[in-house]
Amino acid sequence: MSEETKHFDEDLDLRVSQKFSEDLNILFKPQFSIQPEVDRAVLDKAHQQFTPKHWGHRILRHINIWRIAAAAAVIIFAFSLNLTQKPGPTTSPSLLGEARAVDIDRNGRVDILDAFKLARYVESAEGTEKKWDINGDGLVNSNDVDLVASAAVRLDKGVL
Amino acid sequence: MSNVFIMDSDQELIELVNGGDVDAFETLYRRYRDWVYHLAWRFTGSPQDALDVLQETFTYLLSKFPGFSLTASMTTFLYPVVRHLSLTVRSKNRRFTSDEEMLSEITVPALKDTHSSRSELAAVLAVLPDEQREVLLMRFVDDMSLQEIAVALNIPLGTVKSRLHHALQRLRDDHRTKEYFLE
Repeated sequence: MSEETKHFDEDLDLRVSQKFSEDLNILFKPQFSIQPEVDRAVLDKAHQQFTPKHWGHRILRHINIWRIAAAAAVIIFAFSLNLTQKPGPTTSPSLLGEARAVDIDRNGRVDILDAFKLARYVESAEGTEKKWDINGDGLVNSNDVDLVASAAVRLDKGVL
Repeated sequence: MSNVFIMDSDQELIELVNGGDVDAFETLYRRYRDWVYHLAWRFTGSPQDALDVLQETFTYLLSKFPGFSLTASMTTFLYPVVRHLSLTVRSKNRRFTSDEEMLSEITVPALKDTHSSRSELAAVLAVLPDEQREVLLMRFVDDMSLQEIAVALNIPLGTVKSRLHHALQRLRDDHRTKEYFLE
């Protein structure tokens, strides 16, 4: 009992005489006896529940409830992370090097805009830098643009 | 049944039952059987219904194992269970009686007692507001502390104290029961 409760319970205002308590108990506690069959019915149920077979099932069920709860918590946590984070890299390692090479605008994504950009470089003769020689044939031309476009389509969501 | 558990606390018994000890459950049952029965009788007003409630209450308690954790006292846990089951049993038998009518009815004892002061006490209790009478009986019949009553009824401790204070004040003020409170 807490100190606060003790204080209330010891409140003189809330105290009663012994006779009052006794009379209340006589009025509200009938002297009926509980038949042994009732005890037996309750205790038989208990014994039934505590047999190794039933008890084992109950423990398993109890454990499973916690397992399911834990799994649900993990899924919810993972789902919440997924909602708050930007999509992560989905590109396979084999494509990663190629993808970095064809990310013309260096924005971390390879999409059709990279192909358009390279196409403009090629057309405007600005794209003569070696770094735009994607296929390594010594020339910067439409073949390189095709390669970028092809990579943009092959890379999943174009994310590096 | 083994007597080795008689001295164990409720908490210790519950831990043992969680571990599959049926004797510990039996000790718990025998410890609270009469308390549950008297409370159920008060709520149902029928010895037979009270026996049904008694069985259902301990069946419910059994269903909580394994994994049962007692956060307050055993009576605090049992009180709302007995109350709910009693009202369910009553409503099965008397479909057209509201819960409030039932509560009002059930806490008034039969005036079979020939002792005049007891009969008068019963008569005064009968006209107390239900919530005041309930708190009074929980405190002096069910032997629950004010904190336990507050938890069992899910009301603030101050409300319990206030209800009890008002109930006792009415008994003090009534000429039929004031003799209980004379110094």
